[in-house]
Amino acid sequence: MHPAFLVLLQAAAQSSPTPPSNPITLDSPKVTFFAAVVALGFLGGLGAALLFLVLKQKKGGIDLSSLVSEPTGEASMSRFQLLVFTFVIAVSFFLLVVNNGQFPETPNGVLLLLGISSSSYLVSKGIQASSSEGLSGGGPQIKIHSDRASTNLGGPTVQFQADATGLTNPAVTWSLDPPDAGAIDVNGLYTPPAAGAVNTPMKVTITAVSKEDLRAKDTETIDLV
Amino acid sequence: MSDSRLALLTQWEVTIFLGGLAAIIAFRLLTGGINTRYLLYGKTKTGSRYFSPERVQLLLFTLGTAMFYLLQVINSLKTATKGVPQPLPDISNETLALLGGSHMLYLGGKAYAMLLKTIPKGE
Repeated sequence: MHPAFLVLLQAAAQSSPTPPSNPITLDSPKVTFFAAVVALGFLGGLGAALLFLVLKQKKGGIDLSSLVSEPTGEASMSRFQLLVFTFVIAVSFFLLVVNNGQFPETPNGVLLLLGISSSSYLVSKGIQASSSEGLSGGGPQIKIHSDRASTNLGGPTVQFQADATGLTNPAVTWSLDPPDAGAIDVNGLYTPPAAGAVNTPMKVTITAVSKEDLRAKDTETIDLV
Repeated sequence: MSDSRLALLTQWEVTIFLGGLAAIIAFRLLTGGINTRYLLYGKTKTGSRYFSPERVQLLLFTLGTAMFYLLQVINSLKTATKGVPQPLPDISNETLALLGGSHMLYLGGKAYAMLLKTIPKGE
C-alpha cells in the first residue's frame, strides 16, 4: 500500500468521532426484553382468541364436534388415539419445561411412540382410501349431468353422463320415468318421443343406478316441452 | 417487568391455554359434544357395521399407555431434585412392542374388514 495512503488512513482514524459508550444494538437486553413482551402479548392474545372460539362452538366459532370423526360422521379410532398421545406428550413436555426452565431431553422411546401413533393414522387413511368408501367419506356415489336441461317432442337428443366415485366399476343402469316419455340407451343418450306421442309440457326423470352398488344412484329431471 | 415475571407470565399463559383446551375437549368427549358414535364399530366392504374387538383392544392399550406415561411424568416431577433438569421419561421397548402390536392388530382387522370381508345377508 502506498505510504501516502497509509498516512491518509491514519489521519482519518484519528479525526473520526468516538463511538457512544452504550449503543442500542439489535442484541441489547432492552431490545430482547421488548421483543419478548411483544411476542408474549401476541401469543397470549392468540391463545385467548382460540379458546374463546372453541367455547363459542357454532356460528363463527371453532366446532370440535367432528374432532375425531371421519367425513362419514362416524368416530375414528385412529384419530382418537392420535389425539390422546399428542395431548399426553404435549402436556408432559410443558410440565417439564416449567420445572426445568428449559426444553427437556426427548428420549427415543417417546419419538417412537409418536411415530407409531402417526403412522397408524396414516395407514388407516390409506386403507380407507383403498376401500369402496374412499376418502370422500360419502361412500360410493353416482352423479349425473347432461348437456341440456330441456328438449321437445321429436326434438334433439340429450346426452346424460354418470360420474362414479368410490366405485371400481363405473357402469350404470339407465331408466326414465314416466317410461313412455321417450327412450334412453345404455350410453345415457335420451331420445324424446315423437310429436304428439305424449302430452306436454312434462317433466322426465332420468335415473342412473350403479351396477356395482345398487345404493349408489342419482336422478336428474329435464323438461319436455 | 423483570425476566422472572416474564417467565412466570409465559407459564401461566401456556398453562391456561393447554389446560383450558384439554378441559374443553375432555368435557365434550364425556357429554357427547364431540361425536364418538360408532367409535367401537368397524365397517365391512359392503358398508355394514360390526362391533370391532380390534378397536376395543386399541382403545384400552391407548388409554392405559397414556395414563401410565402421565403418571410417570408426575412421579418424576415429585421426586426431582431442585435445579436438576428432568428429561421426559423414556418408554420401555416392551411397552412400545405391545403398543405396536396393538396397532398392527387394529390395522390388520380394519384392512380385512374394509377390503375383503363381506357379511352375508341376515347376519
